[in-house]
This record gives sequence, structure tokens and C-alpha cells, in this order.
Amino acid sequence: MLDLLWLIPALPFAGFLLLTLAGRLPRAVIAGIGCGTVGVGAIFSLLLCHRFLTAPPPDHAFTQSLWTWFDVAGLAPGIAFHLDALSLVMISVITGVGFLIHVYSAEYMRDDEGFQRFFAFLNLFVGFMLVLVLADNFVLLLLGWEGVGLCSYLLIGFWYREPANGAAARKAFVVTRIGDTALLLGLFLLFASLGTLHFQEAFAAASLAWEPGSGLAVAAALLILGGAVGKSAQLPLQTWLPDAMAGPTPVSALIHAATMVTAGVYLIARCHVLFELAPAVLLVVAIVGAATLLTAGFSALVQHDIKRVLAYSTISQLGYMFLALGVGAWSAAMFHFVTHALFKALLFLAAGALILALHHEQDMRKMGGLRHKLPAVFWTFLIGSVSLAALPLIGSGFYSKEKILWDVWISPLGGPAFWAVGVAGAVVTALYTFRMVFLVFFGESRGARVEHRPGPAVLAVLVILAVFSTFAGGIELPHTFGHVTFFSDFLDTALASLVVLPPGLDAELWALLLVASALVLAGAGVAWWLYGKRTQTSDTMGAAPPRDPLLRFWFAGWGFDAVYDTLLVRPYQFLARRNRRDLVDLGPVFIAALARGLHTLLSETQTGRLRWYASVLVAGTLVLLLLAFAQ
Amino acid sequence: MTAADFQALLPFMCVAAAAVIVMLVISFYRNQTLSAILTLAGLLVALASLPIAWSHAPRAIPPLLRVDSFALVHLALLLVGTVAVTVFSQRYLEKYRMERGEFYILLLLSALGALILAAADHFVAFFLGLELLSVSLYVMVGYIFVKEKALEAAVKYLFLAGLTSALLLFGLALIYAALGSMEFSALAAAVAGAPDGLSPFLVAGMLLVFAGAAFKLSVVPFHLWTPDIYQGAPAPVTAFLATVSKGCVVAVLLRFFAPLDPASQTGLFSALAAVAGASMIVGNLLALLQDNLKRILAYSSIAHFGYILVAFLAGGENGPAAATFYLVTYFAATLIAFGVIGYLSPTDQEADTVADYRGLFWRRPGSAALLSIAIFSLLGLPLTAGFMGKFFLVAAGAAAGLWPLLIILTVSATLGIFYYLRIIIAMYSGEGRKSEGRTADAPFAPTSATVLVLLAVLLIVIGIAPEPLLAFIQAATTLAP
Repeated sequence: MLDLLWLIPALPFAGFLLLTLAGRLPRAVIAGIGCGTVGVGAIFSLLLCHRFLTAPPPDHAFTQSLWTWFDVAGLAPGIAFHLDALSLVMISVITGVGFLIHVYSAEYMRDDEGFQRFFAFLNLFVGFMLVLVLADNFVLLLLGWEGVGLCSYLLIGFWYREPANGAAARKAFVVTRIGDTALLLGLFLLFASLGTLHFQEAFAAASLAWEPGSGLAVAAALLILGGAVGKSAQLPLQTWLPDAMAGPTPVSALIHAATMVTAGVYLIARCHVLFELAPAVLLVVAIVGAATLLTAGFSALVQHDIKRVLAYSTISQLGYMFLALGVGAWSAAMFHFVTHALFKALLFLAAGALILALHHEQDMRKMGGLRHKLPAVFWTFLIGSVSLAALPLIGSGFYSKEKILWDVWISPLGGPAFWAVGVAGAVVTALYTFRMVFLVFFGESRGARVEHRPGPAVLAVLVILAVFSTFAGGIELPHTFGHVTFFSDFLDTALASLVVLPPGLDAELWALLLVASALVLAGAGVAWWLYGKRTQTSDTMGAAPPRDPLLRFWFAGWGFDAVYDTLLVRPYQFLARRNRRDLVDLGPVFIAALARGLHTLLSETQTGRLRWYASVLVAGTLVLLLLAFAQ
Repeated sequence: MTAADFQALLPFMCVAAAAVIVMLVISFYRNQTLSAILTLAGLLVALASLPIAWSHAPRAIPPLLRVDSFALVHLALLLVGTVAVTVFSQRYLEKYRMERGEFYILLLLSALGALILAAADHFVAFFLGLELLSVSLYVMVGYIFVKEKALEAAVKYLFLAGLTSALLLFGLALIYAALGSMEFSALAAAVAGAPDGLSPFLVAGMLLVFAGAAFKLSVVPFHLWTPDIYQGAPAPVTAFLATVSKGCVVAVLLRFFAPLDPASQTGLFSALAAVAGASMIVGNLLALLQDNLKRILAYSSIAHFGYILVAFLAGGENGPAAATFYLVTYFAATLIAFGVIGYLSPTDQEADTVADYRGLFWRRPGSAALLSIAIFSLLGLPLTAGFMGKFFLVAAGAAAGLWPLLIILTVSATLGIFYYLRIIIAMYSGEGRKSEGRTADAPFAPTSATVLVLLAVLLIVIGIAPEPLLAFIQAATTLAP
């Protein structure tokens, strides 16, 4: 069973090759290949989970070496897959949620002329993502890391005839590239100082070679953090994710909510040994997470485009995961990753069904009153919203977010300040989530007409995700009620948590829980008071961007785009323009001109005249004879 | 002649017999397809007889031929090239209302000449093979005489080939005057007997022999005919000219010059190095802004044989193997290119300007993909066979310390990327504008499609895993000094 691990990433790659090379296929076959390869992977992942739970392999990990990729100067990365609790959780979510999104796409993209291209890219993405999380060394991880970046680029710009989509794709690629460069430098540093890029060997060597808090450890952890920040759209590299919503909605759900953007979380969790050697960097991780979750939450509050709300919400939720990582609560971060993948995929897919029903209308100011017209979408979206807003007891988001908040409170690396930021973020989350629900589904209709109802595949996927995102919280319940530690026990086999619950804190934790829950409920209540109680008209909803300066600031994502534009993009473009005919270019320009000139000169010899040809032939022979005898 | 001799000569006999059979059949029953099938059958039987001949190698067939593993590897390559040309010709000739059966007799005879050259061990075999190859080619170049420029090309080729044959004969006469023998082995004996320099007669003779052969390779300064004849000849004949008629000459030159040690023959080898360097530079520069695809390929072939001469000059253990390996990759890519050109040419003219190929990908993605693979291999993109070919050439050259030539190779090959990419860009631009370019709409015949796809797969496979082929060629092409 374990020996078939390689099949899980191999299948989507095979699907990609088949879809690329086989020429035009009927749509049913395309959908079959696309969904089938990922679906079989999902079944394999489930079987692997079962195997890990019933009869875990030695050390709760399994490594499969396929072959050595290359062997140069001591660097011999293998094509080898490492399966432990962490990667098992990742592949289960990637293949499971991925499969559901593939099925959804089969209906969502039905009328698109790029149907085959879409599934080819989607399969390629899943393959690279699986390589990323299964890699047993940094080099193979980097292959998956860059591969998913490429797929993200291809899929954001999927409708490439619209120039704005191409711009969004380029922005996503360039901004994440900054992080990728940091990661690459980090890998160089690791290889230069440790001599290996194999995960387990590198971590073992680092623990021996580096003092906690030593310069090299801090530098390595910071550079890896740079990569994670870029991929997971955290401050200050978060600006690409809202624009990435230009891609088809299933892409937003799969890549820009459930899987790829969590690669940064996975990377930090995978390298937790390095981060533990650099406590200062862990603090940076927590600060980045806290700042991101709050700023992105405020931005989500004022957006009009439903997908942009969800995009900012994703950034904010990833901020929670970073906050958890920063205080060493690895399993809390991964738990939130699982629940977030489920409910955010659900929200995106429900929003996609909505957008398709309204004929590609994404502006919430034109929606309203849709709960009667699209009841199934309403109920599933509501279930996802309850989870996202972490309403007490119902929905999985509550359990994962509370676990993060508790761990932040009790962790030696955390503290009340971080807890307060997390709770404030939770209030904002409840506020923007229910603003969205009330604007879209309640009140009077404000223009957009329902032209199309979701079909069976879309509804089935929504219902399945709704069920999962409601009950997935059950795998880990707070010890104050229920006390299920199934998930964290499982993850602890791979990631020993830094956060240990001291005994006798029950009363304190109850108090925290009650305070947080009350504030979240208050946030939802305010949303109802602002947007649900009063009937909104599209005129009262305000302009885009809003007139109020603070709201406008939030609307524009805290002005990061403008700052980057002024500080980096414009000066760079200015320099590039001014530098067009510079000294450096002279060399190549000269060579080109020389080649051109010589070409013209030599072309004169091609006269087409036989007597000239014969004369050159004889003269050439004579020259050769002279050359031979001149020596 | 013993039975073993007979078996060693089977490949030659099969091709000769096929020529006779085709001639006899068309005097009773004229059918282009039948002639093509018989030709193909003869060539395939010859290919199948190679293992039999292999079991008797090395075997000298005194005094003319020597069937050893080196010859057999080249025989295989030449036969495969001829098979591809036959398949392309069948479809190409169908478009013309004229007597077409004789074409295959000429093709078979020409191929036989090429085979003899690859196994020649004697001046007479050398000359006979070269003439058999050339005389048939004169007619093949002008075979479709209704076409523009066909007769012009044929006459030019006839005249210049005649001139260089005279140079070759004179060279052979000089060598005979110096050695008193017409066997290649006599040359080896003379070199071994005179460590401090050969007689001037011998050096001049060898250089003239080289000149005669170099005309076929179209290296500088014997290159001027190439674009005119490539352009004027029918595309399948151009394919034959560009591959088989050059490959066999490389084989005979490798064998002829094998006894010489570059270090002691500085004069002769500096002349050859000048030819190699000039060919690489001139070939690539001439192709640079050319707008005619067949002329681009003609100019680039000048450069390609400049590259091969580097391996030829390197000599030693790696030289012949690197040259042979490069020939394999060059054959496959060039055959695909001319095969596709022949296919896409409408009846009245050749589809040979770059403009004809604008937007090809959007009209005929399959043809564009094949042509792209061929061009990527010719320009030496990694993961294609062409890259490995260049890599082994450079390795052989570096082992022999030919640094100036290697620098020229690198720089001029970089220039080459420009004109190859122009073709690629043309093929993939202009989406949706279907009416551009004069390319035929007819689908590929299954035989041609099979041959083209197999060649393309070969290019990719060699590009990814060159080791088995290289090991085989290295083992087979070691020439005793």
C-alpha cells in the first residue's frame, strides 16, 4: 500500500500529459480524466490515512526513494517522497478538496472553449502541489513550489484575451517571485553551511551545528519565511492575492484559498526545527500573522466585489495560521488549515455558483434578496459563513480558531497582546462575513437577475463541502468540553508542539472562550444591524472606492499597491525607459549590426552565376593549397 | 568470392537488385506507387540484411571494399535516410503528371553510390561511389523540369560536380604518383613510414581529394552552389542532397584521413581548420536574414558540416564517434524539415518562404509541432538530440584542444539561434488568420506521418537518453589508425 505512494502525484501528471498531448477530446472524457486522476489520489490518501492510524509505519513516517535526480558536487537530491502526519494531512486535503473542485469545474466550465486546457492546468497544479508537500528534500520541494507558481500564473490568466487578467497573472508571478528568491537564497545558505538539502539530515545537522538564536539560524529562518510570506500572501507581499481573483472561480477556490496559498504555512511547519533555533524569527512570524489578519480583515470589510471579500478573508485567515505558527502551535495552525480549506472552498464555490447564476455579476451592490431564488446556494453559503465567522459551537471554524486563540494565550511565545489581536480579527471576520451574507441574500433585489440555476454536480459538491465544513471540527475539541485531541495527537507524531497546556487553567480558558464568543456574536449582530435590518438600495451602498478617506484606505488594501507603485514600479520603469540605449546594450547592438553587415556582404557572393561559382571554387582550392604549404 | 564475402555484401546487393527490379517492372507496368513500394522493400531488405553482414564484420572485400562496424553503422544511417526520402517522394511525385517511375531507379542507384562510399577502402571504390551518387543526382535535381529553376539547378550542379570530380581525380593521381598504390592502407603505411612529414605530392593530393569531397559537404569555399540547388530541387531530393549525399562523404573522409596524426601534419590540418571555421561563420551569417526556408536550411547545413569538421579534425578516439553521432541527429532533423516542406508544398510551387509558414501552428498544428522539434534540434536546444550532438562535438574538440574552433562554434551557433527562431516565431504568430501562406491543405499520408513522427520521437529520445546510442556508436566507429 505504502509503496504506491508515488502514484498519488504521478496520476495528475499523467492526466496533464494525456490532456495536453491527446488532441481534442470529448468533454466527458476530459472531465473524466481530470477528476479521475485526482479522485483516485483522494482514495489512496484515505487508505494511507487508515494505514497510518491502524498500523503506523516505524517512526510514523515513510520515505519512498524513486531515483536520484542529479548528483553534482555533493548535491544529490533524490526524487523521493516523505510521508508523515504533516504531509498526509496536506495530501488528504489537496486530493480531497481538489477532487471536489474538479467535479465542480466540470459543470462550472462546461461552456468554456478552453475546457481541455483548464483541466490540463488544474491537473498539473495538483501534481506539483503534491510534489511540494511530499518532497523529502528542499530541491524537490522547490520544484513543486515553482511548479504551483507557474500553474497559478497560467490559471489566473486563463482568460488571457482580457489584458487585465494577464496583468493580474504577471503581478501574482512577480510578487511571489520576490519571496521565491528569498527562499532560494535560504536554500543556498542551508547547503553552504550544512552541506545537505535533505530535510531530516539538514534539520539534524542544524540542531547540532547552530546555537539557538545564532546568526546563521536567524538568517536561514528569515529567508525561508520570505518565501512563505510571498506564497501565502502575508504582509508585505499580500498584494497579489486580491488581483488573482481574475482567474476562474474554481481556481480561486483550489489554488488561492485551499491549497497553494497554504504552502507557506506548510513550509514553516516543515522547517519548524530551523524556526525553533531562531526564536526571534518566530516572533516575526507571529507579528506578520497578527498584522496581516487585522489589516486584511479591515480591507474585506469595505469591498464590493464578493470574490475580493473572500480573497482578503483568505489573507486574513492565513494570518491566523501564521500567528499560530509564530507561537509554536503547529497543530493548531494545521487544524485551521484543514477547516479553512473546507469552508473557504465552500464559500468560493458557492460564490461561483452565485456569480454564474447572475451572469458573471460579482458586485454585491447589485445582488440582494437572493435567498429565495437560490435557496441551495444560500444555505450552503450560510454554513460556510458560520464557519468562517467562527460562530460558537456550530461550524468547524469555531474550533480551529479557538484552538489558535488558546494556544496563543498560553504559549510562552504568545501572550495577551497577540490574543487580543486575534479576537479583534475574529470580530472583524464576523462583521465582514455577515455583511456579505446580508447584502447578497437578504433585503430587496438590486438589479442582478437570476438567469441560470446551478446543476447537480455543483449542488452535490456544495452539500458535501457544507457537511464536511460543519463536522470537521469534531476531530479536535477543546478539553473543557468534549476533549478530543485526535488531530493534534496525530500531528504530534511529526511536529512536536511547543505549546503544552498547563493544568488548572480551566476557569481562565472558559472565560477566554466566553469573551471571544460573545465578541464574535456581537460582530455578527452589528452586521445585522448595519446591513440586515435596514433595507439597502444600491445608491446607499456607496461608491467604489468609498468617499470616506479611512474606508477608501481600507478599500485599497491599506495603500500597499500605491506605495509599491510609487516606490518600486515607477522608478524601475523610469530607469528602464531612460536606460534603453545604455552602454551595456552597445555590445549586443554592435554584434547584431556587425552580423547584419557581414550578412549583407556575404550575400553579395551568392550571385547565382555559374562562372563566379566555378571561379571561387578553383580559387578556394588554390588558397587551401597555399595554406597547407605555407606552414 | 566466398559465401562470407557474399553475406557481407548483402546490403549492397539488395539495393542494386532493387534498382534492377524496379527498372524491369516499369518497362512492363508503370505505376508510381508500385515502384515506390518495390524501392521501399529493397531498402528494408537491405536494412534487414545488416545484422547478417554484421556477423561477418570486419571483413575486407579486396581490393575495393571493407565491411566493418564503422561502415555498417553508416550504412544503416544512409539506408534509413533513403527510406525516409522514398516515402516523402512517393507523395510528392503524385502531384505531377509525368513519368515518375524512373525516379526510384535513380534514387536507388544514388543510394548505392552512397553505400559504396561508406565502405570504400580503395580509390576506385571512392571514385565510383562518388560518381554513381552524383550522376543520378544530376537527373534527380532536375527531375521535375516543369518547375521553375529546376533545370538551372540541375545544370549548375552538373557543372560544378564535374569540376570537383576533376579535382578529386587529380588528387588521387597525385597520391598514386607518390605511393604507387590505390589502396587506403597504402596511405597508412606511408604515414607510418615517414614520421617527420609526408611528401608534398601526397599532401597536395590529399587536399585535392578533400576538396572534391568537400563540394558534396558544401563547406566553404565550395559552398556557393548549395542554396541555388536546394531551392531548385524538389523537396525530397533536397532532403537526399542534404542528408545521404553528405553523410556518406563524411564517412569516407573519416576513413581516408584516419591514419593521419593532426600533430605531425600541421600544414594540411591548418587548411582543414580554416575550412571548418569559415564554414561555421559563413554558413550562419548567410542564413541570418534569409527569407527562404530552403535557402536557410542550405546555409545552415554549411554551418552544420563546419561543426562536424571540428570532430573530424579532433580525430582520436572520440572524433569519429562524435561526427557519426552528430550525423544521426542532423539526419533526423533535416529529414523532418524537408519532409514537412515537401508535404506542405502545393503543386505549382514550393512552400518555401518564411512567410508561407506564418501562422502554421493555427492551421496545421501537427506539422508545426514536427517542424518545431526539427528546428529546435538543429539549433541545439537542450533535451533534443541536436544538443547532445553539439555537446559531444565540443567534448571531442576540447579533448583535442581545438579551442579557436570551439570558440567559433559557440559564437556562430549562437548567431544561428536567430534565424531558427525566426521560423518558429512565424509559425506560432498570426493566430486565426487562416488564409495566410501558400501551404497545401491535404492531410498527411499515414506512411509519411509515421516516418515523421518516428524521427521526431527519435530526436526527443536521443535528447533525453543519448547514452545507449552513443555507447553503440563509440564501440562501432573506432577506426584503426
